Amino acid sequence: MIGSLLFYVLYPFSRFWTIRPSEASKKGLPPVVVNGTAAWDGGAVTSKRITQCQKTLLDQWHTPGSRTKGETKERMKKSGPEKENDHTTADMDKKQLMAAAHEGTKNEAAPKICDGQPAVEEKETAMTNGQQQDSVDTPKHEDGGMIVHHEVLHENNNTEDGNIFPTDDISPEQACRAQTTEDSKHQTVCCVQEQKQIQNMEETVTVCWDEYAAPTADEIHGGASGSNLVFTSLLSNSQTTNVSSQHNTQTGWQFPIGPGLAEEVHCPMWTFPAVSYYPPFEFTLPFKVMWRVWQEIDESATEEEPAFTPFPFTKVSMDFTVMSYNILAQDLLEANQELYAHCPLEVLDWSYRYFLLLEEIQKWAPDILCLQEVQENHYHEHLYPVLSQMGYTCVYKRRTGTKTDGCATCYRGDYFSVVSLSQLEFFRPETELLDRHNVGIVLLLQPVATQGVKVTAKGPPLCVANTHLLFNPRRGDVKLAQLAIMLAEIDSMVQSCATKGEHCNVILCGDFNSVPHMPLYQLITTGKLYYHGLPAWMISGQEDLSFKSHCHRLFAPLWPSTLGITDNCQYAASEDMCQSQNQESGKCQYTHAFMLQLRYCPAACVRPQGLMLIPGVTDNTPDPTSRNQPYNKRFSNPISHPLDLESVYKHIPPVSGVSEVTTLNSEVGATVDYIFYSPRRILSSAQKADGDFVSKGLKLTGSVSLLSEDVLWSMKGLPNHIFPSDHLSLIAKFQLDWNAA
Amino acid sequence: MNNKFDALKDDDSGDHDQDQGSPKDSEKEKTDEEDKEQNSSKKKMVVPGAGEHPLQYNYTFWYSRRTPGRPASTQSYEQNIKQIGSFASVEQFWRFYSHMIRPGDLTGHSDFHLFKEGIKPMWEDDANKMGGKWIIRLRKGLASRCWENLILAMLGEQFMVGEEICGAVVSVRFQEDIISIWNKTASDQATTARIRDTLRRVLNLPPNTIMEYKTHTDSIKAWEDFHGLVNASGGR
Repeated sequence: MIGSLLFYVLYPFSRFWTIRPSEASKKGLPPVVVNGTAAWDGGAVTSKRITQCQKTLLDQWHTPGSRTKGETKERMKKSGPEKENDHTTADMDKKQLMAAAHEGTKNEAAPKICDGQPAVEEKETAMTNGQQQDSVDTPKHEDGGMIVHHEVLHENNNTEDGNIFPTDDISPEQACRAQTTEDSKHQTVCCVQEQKQIQNMEETVTVCWDEYAAPTADEIHGGASGSNLVFTSLLSNSQTTNVSSQHNTQTGWQFPIGPGLAEEVHCPMWTFPAVSYYPPFEFTLPFKVMWRVWQEIDESATEEEPAFTPFPFTKVSMDFTVMSYNILAQDLLEANQELYAHCPLEVLDWSYRYFLLLEEIQKWAPDILCLQEVQENHYHEHLYPVLSQMGYTCVYKRRTGTKTDGCATCYRGDYFSVVSLSQLEFFRPETELLDRHNVGIVLLLQPVATQGVKVTAKGPPLCVANTHLLFNPRRGDVKLAQLAIMLAEIDSMVQSCATKGEHCNVILCGDFNSVPHMPLYQLITTGKLYYHGLPAWMISGQEDLSFKSHCHRLFAPLWPSTLGITDNCQYAASEDMCQSQNQESGKCQYTHAFMLQLRYCPAACVRPQGLMLIPGVTDNTPDPTSRNQPYNKRFSNPISHPLDLESVYKHIPPVSGVSEVTTLNSEVGATVDYIFYSPRRILSSAQKADGDFVSKGLKLTGSVSLLSEDVLWSMKGLPNHIFPSDHLSLIAKFQLDWNAA
Repeated sequence: MNNKFDALKDDDSGDHDQDQGSPKDSEKEKTDEEDKEQNSSKKKMVVPGAGEHPLQYNYTFWYSRRTPGRPASTQSYEQNIKQIGSFASVEQFWRFYSHMIRPGDLTGHSDFHLFKEGIKPMWEDDANKMGGKWIIRLRKGLASRCWENLILAMLGEQFMVGEEICGAVVSVRFQEDIISIWNKTASDQATTARIRDTLRRVLNLPPNTIMEYKTHTDSIKAWEDFHGLVNASGGR
């Protein structure tokens, strides 16, 4: 009994002591961290509350009922496995043991923490504790969502206030308990509390203290059970609060826990006689749910702004947002129903999904919208009319072959004007490798700053590429070749700008059907890939097929020179252009790739007249079909591309370590969608000295947070009632600066 | 002036590792050949075909091989070097190249030479006598690819050193293969540095590859020293 009392007394401090190790351990936690940490917070609140009661009662409560001990044990038992992580449980036990040792110091410890406000003593202590706890927690979730979240919760509490206070007929203790319930809740969310709120709390706390000053034996019992009552009734609220804030911490979004999940996490342990007096703490949804939030990227520390802009120029800055979204074609959904067996039927209905999709597009209102898996009839009948009404100019490219979906790129007509447009088909019947019906769209846009109808400034060109690469996890070779076509087209647009002396920024987005850091991703982000000998499945990394005894490997050359694309993922034709330019200057200069192109042209296959058959000369006829020439220059050479690209999403959220996903179905959850962009590099001092004051490249200023797999499953997977597709949308905000005369 | 062969020393890159006769023999034969060549070039000067991609210069392929089993001294370098043919366009180049064995598939002690038309693959040619060459030794298995890369760069005028380039040689040896590129002026350091850098780029060489520049004067001297034939070349 004494042990349990000591535990109650000391547990808040143990909480305080264990904050740091717990935080550290949180980082490495498996996905269940949500529940675990949430319970961890809940536990803290509970003990705070109990401390308040128990400390009040400590002197008076001389008749320890065996029930109280039972309570403790039972709560320990129940809360242990359900609410606490192992380490927290261990901590509890440890603190309990340590309690004896700290018995003498417990009273000194309390005032030390409570900032010398003796009037409110223990409650203040608890509160301070709570505040400290919050202040420790706060630095972790300093994202935009946090503030919104707390405001919402305060509102929520206030509405509950309204419920509680008018009930005059409840007993003082109960009122007090309700009050303290409020306090506890405030404590859990008090990271942005203002001073007056704290003062309010102090007042109510003082009232409570007075009420507790002379408890009767009956009241003691009532207080004891009351404390438990508060404890459990708190759970549904504080638990929810904490779960939300925990999610907030992790992913920057919130979701409401209905009574169902709260109960699942915390089974109520007691049937309380006084329950009828209690206003039900049913969790309703009075606030609007913010599912995903903007994560601002603050690079002000690293940003080196040019000190001044030379006189005749004014700096024009433009913010724009890009969304990439695989919206799941209805035909594909219906063809692969086994992937969506977990979904309620109504969320698979196109009209419902379409409604959600439009809501989502309207919510984020991207300036550039890159959609994949857009079914042709849905595009023409539904999407196009609405999107053009919303001010978007749209380009659609259906996949070749029998599939009915394709890609659509839409941009705000008042922000951008199109310079050139290409719709790419990756199906090349003359090339064996490229036998799949995927497509891409590459747009060259010119940002325009307008005042009214007058165009005041034109920005540097922006190349926006949108594609959906082959899905087949075993055919990484095909994906690479498709990507090469994409990169070559982008490069040709960049080159065409370069000839006009303009720097072209690049955005490459879509569904690449490849996971982060695997070879295909590496090619994009590092610009180089040594592919020779790699197993084809490894390129995308969607599935680990290394167990297979036979796997198709990649051998050089990956694609034949007839494709007209070099190993640098550039059009050989563009090099041809350079060559003709050189010819204008009177020089017959040819690149390697260009010369290789002519290798098997008809004129080159004729045996030279009078060629003697001496050693060193062969009588073989050149075979244009034998492309796997071992001496081909691509032997063991890498493929590369000259574009400088970086992914908007870093694929590991900084806080939780639980990896985010962009797609989830009943079989797999993974990151396969990306927005790549040409980032703004800090200019070297040499470049600055050259007077190159125009900052090239895009500055990433924010992105909308993704969600982790476990969070998505807690929402019953994808698609669901919030997200209409089996992919999440990717949204990024960029800043583009230029100097206008 | 002689073409020297040093069978035991390291200068077996290029054209001068064929056994030769006496200086006199050599000189005589060279004259003969010059006559022959002049005749043939008078007879037929290669031109690019209609619609073909002309090269900046016309080039000639040569092949040489040390005949096995015969004493080296009885063979002259020029007896062993054979002209395969000349071309003036990219298409014509491939025509020859496609009908030639890849260097990696050559056996024995053989060389392919690709020189500008009119320049003989010999130290003593007027275009070469003040010149030198970059030498890269390759482990077996790389020669075909490197040779192709090298000659494509040369024919495509990727070296950007004006008229400095004379030709290129691939030499197949027992344990290694050697490729080299010859230029006119050994003393022109800017040119030789530029050639080296281009080589590194077009051959995609590993950074630790050793590249050695050797003037033809040194090659001749080394040959003469080895054979005790000081001043054998008659003061040239």
